[in-house]
Amino acid sequence: MNAMLREQAHLPLETRGLQHCYEGVNVLCGIDLALEPGSVLGLIGRNGAGKSTLIRAMLGLLVPLAGSTQVFGEAALKLSDAAKARIAYVPQQPEALAWLTAQQMLDYVGRFYPQWDATFVRTTMERWQIQPNRLLAKLSPGERQRVDLIRALASQPELLVLDEPAAALDPVARRELLREVALRAGESGTTVLFSTHIVSDLERVASEIAFLHQGKLLMHCSVDETKERYARLWLPGKMSAAAPTESLSRRRHEDGSISLVVERDAAGQWPQAAGLAGARVDALGLEDLFVEIAE
Amino acid sequence: MDASLLIIQPASIEPIYRQIVEQLRRLIAAGQLAPGELLPSVRDVAGFHAINPMTVSRAYGIAESEGLLERQRGKGMVVAATHRTTQTQNQRMALLEPQLQALTRHAGELELPADAVLRRLTKLLGE
Repeated sequence: MNAMLREQAHLPLETRGLQHCYEGVNVLCGIDLALEPGSVLGLIGRNGAGKSTLIRAMLGLLVPLAGSTQVFGEAALKLSDAAKARIAYVPQQPEALAWLTAQQMLDYVGRFYPQWDATFVRTTMERWQIQPNRLLAKLSPGERQRVDLIRALASQPELLVLDEPAAALDPVARRELLREVALRAGESGTTVLFSTHIVSDLERVASEIAFLHQGKLLMHCSVDETKERYARLWLPGKMSAAAPTESLSRRRHEDGSISLVVERDAAGQWPQAAGLAGARVDALGLEDLFVEIAE
Repeated sequence: MDASLLIIQPASIEPIYRQIVEQLRRLIAAGQLAPGELLPSVRDVAGFHAINPMTVSRAYGIAESEGLLERQRGKGMVVAATHRTTQTQNQRMALLEPQLQALTRHAGELELPADAVLRRLTKLLGE
């Protein structure tokens, strides 16, 4: 009983001060991130921003230069089998057990999971058009990832981590995956972390977003809040001196005018310059917001 | 009411929960949803549109606090019995506020004098 209470107090995922570099180039520069149970975090960032590295480091699949992660209260690098049984991770390019057929792999892996849902496997294999008797090695990368998504969902994990899951799916299957993710989070309290390029997917199911840019997490907040809290402020050239010094991005256009991504203050007000005659404040969709900052 | 009646545009600058509240407001104000009519469950809406159930709950909660919806024991959310007829002019006017704000902003950007805009608006309203 005590053990159960203790377990519940632990966050599914909590990382502190994560740092990593490849060949002298810093990829992660001190990432702090915590996931509440039942939340759906959409991780977004440009190609090469380090999303996969961050995910792998958080799950203990890679030893970071510095920092630590706890998964259900255990050190990510020394997870017990019991903790591992509660996690499912789908990498961008699954490679494991390629000498088995899809069916063999799922039958084999299923034995390790107490909550394995064989009915889900059967029906989803059909819907996602996976031939059960083909070798995994012979499947296309997209089919391979679909099999791995089925594997992950069938284990009914408490923490589901998906690295670019949408890339392998056609629009119908993608919608189906999003539905699974959304309903499991809402009803079974599954905690989900997924990285994606497709911002509209993230806007549908994510409860919060984090934007990985230049090794740091920007704007880690709820999706709704992001849309309401940030906007683009445009100032004509003659007023560019009035631009607030603090902004998430700053771009000068050829005509001398200037665009900034600004944030409401604690009282919900835009920076003062937004009130000047000739200034413009435009609400942005998430996609425009990211482009504005990442460019 | 069927979940498919709602239109969700994830890429819109409007957060999804506000899109839902706004549509409920309009459907109810226009009488397309009658008092007592049952709303689809949170699960149905979330499932149909593949959106986070918490977003739907939040929208329903706001609609309930605005008096558009009522929670009925064992049944779910229904359209509240008291609406349009009892809505004051002020309340209906408040529904128009976002559009009026946008209009004012555009007029300012175009540096149009207020009287010219008002003249045109008066003409449109009179038609």
